[in-house]
Amino acid sequence: MDQFITTYGFLIIMMMLQAVLALSLYLPLMAGQLSLATPGFFAIGGYVAAVLSTQKFLPAPGTTFPEPLQSFVTWLATVFPLTPTGQGFPIGLVLVEMVIGGLLCGLVAILIGLPALRLRGIYLALATIAFVEVLRVVSLNLPITGGAIGIFGIPQPFPTDATKFSYIVIALPFLLLCMAYVYRLERSRVGRAFIALREDELAATAMGINPTYHKVLAFAMGAVMAGMAGAMTAHVLNTWNARQGTFDASILILAYVIIGGSRTFLGPVVGALLLTALPEVLRQVAGIDGLPDFLAAFLRDGRLVIYGFLIAFGVLSFPQGLLTPELLKRKKKASAPLPPTGGG
Amino acid sequence: MKKSFFAVSSVSLALMLGVGAAIAQDAEPIRIGVAVAQTSNVALLGQEQVIGAEIAAQYFNDLGGINGRPIELVIQDTAGDEAGAINAFNTVIAEGVVGIVGPTLSQQAFAADPIAEAARVPVIAPSNTARGIPEIGAYIARVSAPVALVAPNAVRTALEFDPEIQRVAVFFAQNDAFATSETGTFQETVTALGLELLPVQTFQTTDTDFTTQITNILPLNPDLAIVSGLAADGGNLVRQLRELGYEGLIVGGNGLNTANIFPVCQAFCDGILIAQAYSYSYENEVNSAFRDIYFEQQGKEPPQFSGQAFAGVQVFVEALIELDNTVGLDTLDLAATRDQLNTTLLGLTYDTPLGVISFTPEGEINQGTFYVAQISMNEDGQTGSFVFVNTIDVTAEATPEATPAS
Repeated sequence: MDQFITTYGFLIIMMMLQAVLALSLYLPLMAGQLSLATPGFFAIGGYVAAVLSTQKFLPAPGTTFPEPLQSFVTWLATVFPLTPTGQGFPIGLVLVEMVIGGLLCGLVAILIGLPALRLRGIYLALATIAFVEVLRVVSLNLPITGGAIGIFGIPQPFPTDATKFSYIVIALPFLLLCMAYVYRLERSRVGRAFIALREDELAATAMGINPTYHKVLAFAMGAVMAGMAGAMTAHVLNTWNARQGTFDASILILAYVIIGGSRTFLGPVVGALLLTALPEVLRQVAGIDGLPDFLAAFLRDGRLVIYGFLIAFGVLSFPQGLLTPELLKRKKKASAPLPPTGGG
Repeated sequence: MKKSFFAVSSVSLALMLGVGAAIAQDAEPIRIGVAVAQTSNVALLGQEQVIGAEIAAQYFNDLGGINGRPIELVIQDTAGDEAGAINAFNTVIAEGVVGIVGPTLSQQAFAADPIAEAARVPVIAPSNTARGIPEIGAYIARVSAPVALVAPNAVRTALEFDPEIQRVAVFFAQNDAFATSETGTFQETVTALGLELLPVQTFQTTDTDFTTQITNILPLNPDLAIVSGLAADGGNLVRQLRELGYEGLIVGGNGLNTANIFPVCQAFCDGILIAQAYSYSYENEVNSAFRDIYFEQQGKEPPQFSGQAFAGVQVFVEALIELDNTVGLDTLDLAATRDQLNTTLLGLTYDTPLGVISFTPEGEINQGTFYVAQISMNEDGQTGSFVFVNTIDVTAEATPEATPAS
């Protein structure tokens, strides 16, 4: 088990964070908006955490944080004593950064969402790609974001944990909260309005649903999640730069949703967990003893080729995604007390 | 059928994850990790590094390994991103390596090196030249001289070639981390040498048309142009500079330090000066052997990335031999081996293909000799070679201590 955590602790954390990103792309999609802006908000969140933790939240040795923060950190340490040595960066501040990153992203999303969401389908997708690119160029040029090298030496809440698995105390509740939120949302009035807009905007408008309000709302909710995930990822990665959250990431996150299924919130989560784990699983398959040399070499050198092939295969054989509402309903009928989900 | 899909897939996934992690650790060979980018857009560099490391393993095993125990490389692909580097580091650490050579990019090092630092596994960076790499931690050292020491040599050589140089045009790819830090060094060198720095021109590594930047700068009559970018964009920029009538000397950054630019700027590549941390023509026993094996395998002279990766493995091997002679590897468990290997390797001096090197207590390389090569194109305009035109012995001069702020 120790060995397993050493090798995969980091991967498990990344799987969870990617699942949150998939949910953040799923939210606008619920309202019928194909938005690829998620990595942009992810990048903003990461920069917020990187800048705050390396420049603002570091008290000089022996001193304390500025007042409201210090009380919060002390209070959190009493109710939530998880930082193992007390040497590390307080977990409370990571949470504060996540909240700030999320709120900032929500604000930006409302500002750019109002004009951008007048676009539909492929045009909205293009506009959001442009947003991601603009952010990348801006972060390359701002002194505060460290240019192309970015920001490094981000303080760690668990400085002695090489595996990063300790982040599970934030990552798992965060993912579960996001999932619960979307689960409840799908069954609420607002969520049904999103789905109505997706299925038929004209009919939904005729029923009195305000399309602009609901689309911007879905977009902003997704942005908040992506921003929070970014803030946490910056700590997990130790460093943040303009190569995080680029156009490549947009496509990857879209793949999570499409492979997993875009009609139920479990689809994106399962898609993200599977696709994030797959390259690492292939890495280990190549290392199994007793494989013929040519096969091991192919698995090792061609693991990303196989990965791409599996994505293409997945889209072709499961055009609705792996998880569809029909499938879940059928499973529910077949065995009434169904365990919630395997989760990959 | 469909029903069982989830069960089967989750079981097999768990199996695959488990099997890999449970690979038994063989006591006999000593394992050294190599985690570099074998895929993605930096794969060309990573593959050269793998070749260099493999030649080193073969060479030192033929010489008897670590007092009879062979070394075994555990090679893992980091791809080009930060998460990939962390995954590869975790994998090699779990496989019981005593030290790691890698990763390829400085940005990846900022993400993955803290992992090794926390796990107390020594890391030798074969190609991380950005500022702040050895400072990541006590277990991080590098055999790649920082850009602040290498790059200025090309400008000094250009001045030796043409002492009349006054006005200098500087171009750099602002979306490339290496080019960005390199251009800072170039600009400081230009100012420090008392030359006039013309307005700095920026481009992107994805650009193909540089007319705007060039027409901005040509009316100012530059005598020297300095280009920091990658092979494709840098090569195109050089070509367009020449096509638009620039006749002075050109200094290229390390991104242009590859034969891959020959097809891009063709005959116009001729004469570009590039500073080098490694020269295949350096004469010592280990470099001659390395050069011969490389030439035999690849049919060409070894590039800098292979030479540095070789040196990275060599540092581990010689430090392990020293550790075995003084303490005895049999008496140490894995954690103690890693720990003592780190202290030992920082204290030794190595005669590598890069020349004689040693480390500062922090893990920064002390390298005595740098080189400047000039590209010489053949008449067909398609093929060419790097001709070493200058050897700069830094130790002979009063070493201009690399100012930490540079």
